[in-house]
This record gives sequence, C-alpha cells and structure tokens, in this order.
Amino acid sequence: MHFVCCIKQVPDTAEVKIDPETNTLVRAGVESISNPYDMVALEEAVRLREKYGGRVTVISMGPPQTDSSLREALSMGADDAILLSDRAFAGADTLATSYTLSKAIERLCREMPVDLVLCGKQAIDGDTAQTGPGVATRLGYTQFTYVVEVEWIKPDLRQIQVRRAIEGGIEVLRGALPALLTVELELARPRRAPLTAMIRSLRAPITTWNAADIDAPAPRLGIKGSPTWVKNISSPPAREGGPRFDVQEGLERAVEQAVDLLFADEDFVSKLKTGWEA
Amino acid sequence: MAKNLKGIEVAEIIPDKCIACQICVGECPVGAIEITSDGVAHVDPAVCIGCGKCAESCPVDAVLFEKKKRKRLTKEQRGMPAEGLPGYQGVAVFIEVADGVGAPVSWELAGKARDLARKLGSKVLGFLLGSGVDDIAREAIAFGCDEVHIIDHPLLKSYLSVTYGKALTDLSEEIHPEILLIGATHLGRDLAGIVATSLRTGLTADCTGLAIEEETRLLLMTRPTFGGNIMATIFCERRRPQMSTVRPKVMKMPDKDLTRQGTIHHHDWSPPEGEIPVVVDFIKKVSETGSVDIVRSPALVVAGKGACDPASLSLLQELAGLVGGVVACSRPVVEAGLLPYERQVGQTGKTVAPKLYIGVGVSGAVQHLVAIQGAEKIIAINRDPNAPIFKVADVGIVGNYLEIVPELIKQLKKRI
Repeated sequence: MHFVCCIKQVPDTAEVKIDPETNTLVRAGVESISNPYDMVALEEAVRLREKYGGRVTVISMGPPQTDSSLREALSMGADDAILLSDRAFAGADTLATSYTLSKAIERLCREMPVDLVLCGKQAIDGDTAQTGPGVATRLGYTQFTYVVEVEWIKPDLRQIQVRRAIEGGIEVLRGALPALLTVELELARPRRAPLTAMIRSLRAPITTWNAADIDAPAPRLGIKGSPTWVKNISSPPAREGGPRFDVQEGLERAVEQAVDLLFADEDFVSKLKTGWEA
Repeated sequence: MAKNLKGIEVAEIIPDKCIACQICVGECPVGAIEITSDGVAHVDPAVCIGCGKCAESCPVDAVLFEKKKRKRLTKEQRGMPAEGLPGYQGVAVFIEVADGVGAPVSWELAGKARDLARKLGSKVLGFLLGSGVDDIAREAIAFGCDEVHIIDHPLLKSYLSVTYGKALTDLSEEIHPEILLIGATHLGRDLAGIVATSLRTGLTADCTGLAIEEETRLLLMTRPTFGGNIMATIFCERRRPQMSTVRPKVMKMPDKDLTRQGTIHHHDWSPPEGEIPVVVDFIKKVSETGSVDIVRSPALVVAGKGACDPASLSLLQELAGLVGGVVACSRPVVEAGLLPYERQVGQTGKTVAPKLYIGVGVSGAVQHLVAIQGAEKIIAINRDPNAPIFKVADVGIVGNYLEIVPELIKQLKKRI
C-alpha cells in the first residue's frame, strides 16, 4: 500500500490579529506550525502502514522553510518527504493548490501507484476544507471527508470502509481504492517522535519538486491559476467587556446584579423564557 | 522610496501590513520577492526592476512603491469583458435535503439570493437533487426561488459525493448561473469543493457576508479567516459561477409565502460511471449517550479548566437545563477526559454562536475566544478577576463557581 499524506505549514493563527489602531496585521512572535489536522492524517497514515505494510510519502507545498514540517513528519514515521516549492506556486487559492497537489500525486503514482491519500479536514489558517475534495476530484479518487475512523482496508479487493461525522450522526461508508480521506481531530492522537528519530530526520533527504518536475503549466498554478482574489481584510467587530461583580461584596448581591443586567434586555428575556422558540 | 545601486526606484514591503499571501511573489516577473523566515514578503532591491506589479497586486497595500503606482488593471487589460462574463445569469441556490425536508440554511440562502438577484436584475434559481422532491421544490418557490431546477433520480435518494458532485456540476453547466450558493454544512462543504473543481471556478468557504459590488456586478464574499481573527473579502472575477459556501444561521430566514409563483423544471441525468460507494450504516446521534450538537444549541454552559470536576457536572447540567441549553467545555476538560471531544468549543473544537453562553471556570484563551465571538450574550464566572474572558463577557461574576452557580440557579428559577 502506498499512502500519501498532504500537509501544510501554517501560522499559529490564534496569535494572528489586527492592530485596531493601524489596521495592520500583528504577527510579531507568531510561530509557524504544522497544521494540527494534517498531523492527525499523518499519524493515521503511519498506523495504516504499520497494519497493512507499504510506504508513507508526505508532500507539502510552500516556501523552502516548509521543510521543517516535512522533517517533523519524517520523525513521526513517514518514509519519504517531498517539498513542492516554486515561485510559480505562490499565491495559490484552493483551486490552484489542489491542482498542484494532484499533479505531484500523479507523478508519485508513476513511481509507485498510490492507494490512499490522507489530508486534514481543513487548515487552521484558511479553514476552507476545500483542498482535499479538490484533489480527490481531479484524481478521480473516491472521496471520504470528515473521517473519524478507518474501519478496514481490503487491499486485495481494493476496498476501504470508514466512519464519517456528518449532520445528525455517523455514516459508515464503503468505497473503492484509490481513495482520499480528510480527517477529523478525533481520528488519532499524533505520536511524539522519539529523540533519535527527530535527530535522524534533521539529516534526512527531502526531495524538492518545481513546476517542471510535476509537469504543470504555469497558467494553472499560483496566482495565475487562482480565480479568487482577496479584496481587503479587516478586524471582526470587537466585543466589549461589560461590568463584573465580585462575590467578596456578597454572593447574593453579586449574582443579583449580574442577573439584573441580563434581564434588562427585554427581548433577550422573552426568548429565554419561551425556550428560545421566538 | 529606496533606490538601488542601478538607480532604479524599487519596491519595499511594509512588514506590519504584509499578510504573506504570496500574491506578489507570483506576480514579480524577476523573482525579486521571497517570503522570509519572519513570515513576511521581502523585496531584494538588487533584483527589483521597479515595475510596480507587486504594488498593484497587493490586497492590503503593504507595498511601498509610488513612482509608477497605477490603479489595478482594467478588465479590458486583463482580457475581461467589461460587463462580466456573457451567458451567465441568475443567482442559484443549492437546496439541501435533510431527512426528507429542505435544510433551513437553504431557505436562508434563498432569502439572501433574492437580495443579490434584485441588485443584479436577475432571477433566483433553486437547484434541487433527490428522488421525489417536488414538494420541496414548491417550498423553495415559497421561500423565494423563481425557478427550481430538479434532477430527480433514484441514485440521488441520499447523498454521495460522487453522484451529487456530478449532478450539481451537470446542472450548473446546463443553466450557467452567475452565482452558486451552497450552505456550509458538512454535506455542502463536501459537495462544493467537487463542483468548483469540476467547473474550474473559484470557491470561497464558509462565508458570513455576501454583497454585490455595483460598478463591477461582482459578488463580494466575506469570511472569517486566520481562526476567526480576521475577516477577508474575496471576489472571483475571471470564472463563473462565483461560488460560495455560506455559514448556517448567519443570513436571515425569509418569510414563507405560499402564494409566490415560480416554475419547476425537470432535467434528465446520466449517473457517473464506475463504482459508487455504499452507505453501510448510519448511526444516529442519541442525546442520552452524551451526543449533543453544541453548535445548534441556543444556550451553552461551558465548563473550563477551573470547573473540571466530575462532581460539579450535574450542577452545570442543572443550570444548562434551566436556560434551555446543554453543557459544553473548553479543551483542557476534553484532555482530562471529563467530556467528549464533540463538546469542545474552540479553534480545534467547534465554533459556536449561541444566544446565551455561560462560561464557568473558563479563563478565555485566544483559541477559545475566537470560537465564541458570535455568541449573543456572554456570562463569565471565574475566580481570577483578570481572566481574559471578562474582556469579552457582557457580564462577569468573580468568585468560586461552586458558590456562584447554585446561587445563580436559585435566582434564575425565581425569574424565568
């Protein structure tokens, strides 16, 4: 079995915000991390390889410093790492990104046929959840999104059965390989790499492919291949904190003042009293 | 404005403004721009030829370049017809069917589509897939659709990525809508990526705002990004339809008008070739086992690290029951094993927008706060008067929750 895991290096988004006075992005001290959902996908890929045998290839598109995420993946058990890096890839939206990734996976297929692609359900910087389905569509692979469990794979029958989290419950779905999964956080807990593996990964070779290596024409890549553009950015409307009451001034009184304040909003109270039906 | 050694006026990036979108990196004809390890773009002055393309393409005006700073290229210069793309008309809404009825988000979108269609002078089109769905089509008209286009086929009885993906792509290729809106449910987001990729058009995920830019007729799609810290407005100029998934419960539910007139059209369809996946089983969520949908609950009592105690869970449940909600939690509570992951509010959990949020022992880490921004009323209970959650709470009570919650229950009981 050949497992391919797509990962993305992202800014630790909880730290990114806009300075309200200058309306500019505050990114001082913001670290780059591997997208947490993708690390779950990688963990699952490594577990599946341990169970069914084969290889795990991890790929990532990004600037050269993305190699730190690829090394992290190698330390966690990936066999090979490929960095897709080219100026032509820059500024890609999800359409151009899924095109680039699918071209890279096509090339991997020529070296060793791919059975299963695993992606995180979304990246924490963009939260689009669109790249996985885009890659599956381009490659014509069976698509399974929001996967919470891989029940089994039958390599000889070319079948896989998974559990997906969807509206109102869990769907058990069976389909043909090759397939692409996008995974939920609860699927697996990424392992801590042993120190020796971390040290080994620092010296491991990482292959870099550019646009020519994956046989991808420039008009389909990066900014040129991206139909969506950012017009502007802004801060979400900020909340303002209201008063706080301390129980040191009397428990009953503090709670009463808080409840009074809450009940001052008649519209809110009427909804609360009617069980939110209005 | 800096000059380089050749005397050319070169562009500079203002690091604080740069959002590292890399658009300039791709636009630069000489490869002078790189993203540095600080995560911002940097222009190599020795390589820069002073063409100004980076300044033109920058969405946030982070490029310092004045000499030849030009306006964004006109449509003619970019090879675009000035009146948008001919042949594409109408604002289409994908009507999601859940348990045999139209999903509420589809009607919210039909309402929004009416606004957009009015500004464009075009029609609202409902795209409906399923088996035996004519009743839903009539409902779609009542909620605002002018035309409903149906593919009715036994294979579309329940959702599968491959069948729905092909069917919605086929309908779009036949009818050529200018805009296609899909609810940002699990189903909608699974589907939208397939259709946009097949149509090779742009797709903007999980939008919370939609508007028409009058002079260009373009759809402006606003969405939270960077974990909800930033709102980005996106447009799609060169491809059609302009596609967007839209977050449920953001757009207003329109009034249902059973006297509205509209037309219903059935379309022939050939299913996709090849093996189609099989739904082996569906396990419905049962509330008794702790499976609740915290996203849909109108009120949440959220247990934080400071209230991570099995003994107090029943107390929180009593409060939740009183205000018509359920118990949710922050990440440490899941990590401690007290509540399941599906109850987690936060960046790696669920984003919620309840009418009432009561945080008990939640300190308010950024990752948690970004996920509760949409809450209507926030009450915070915490021992630490400096807990960050108080900065966003409408009202706060400082003290031990084991004293405060019973008192709160007592007083609420009197008044509800």
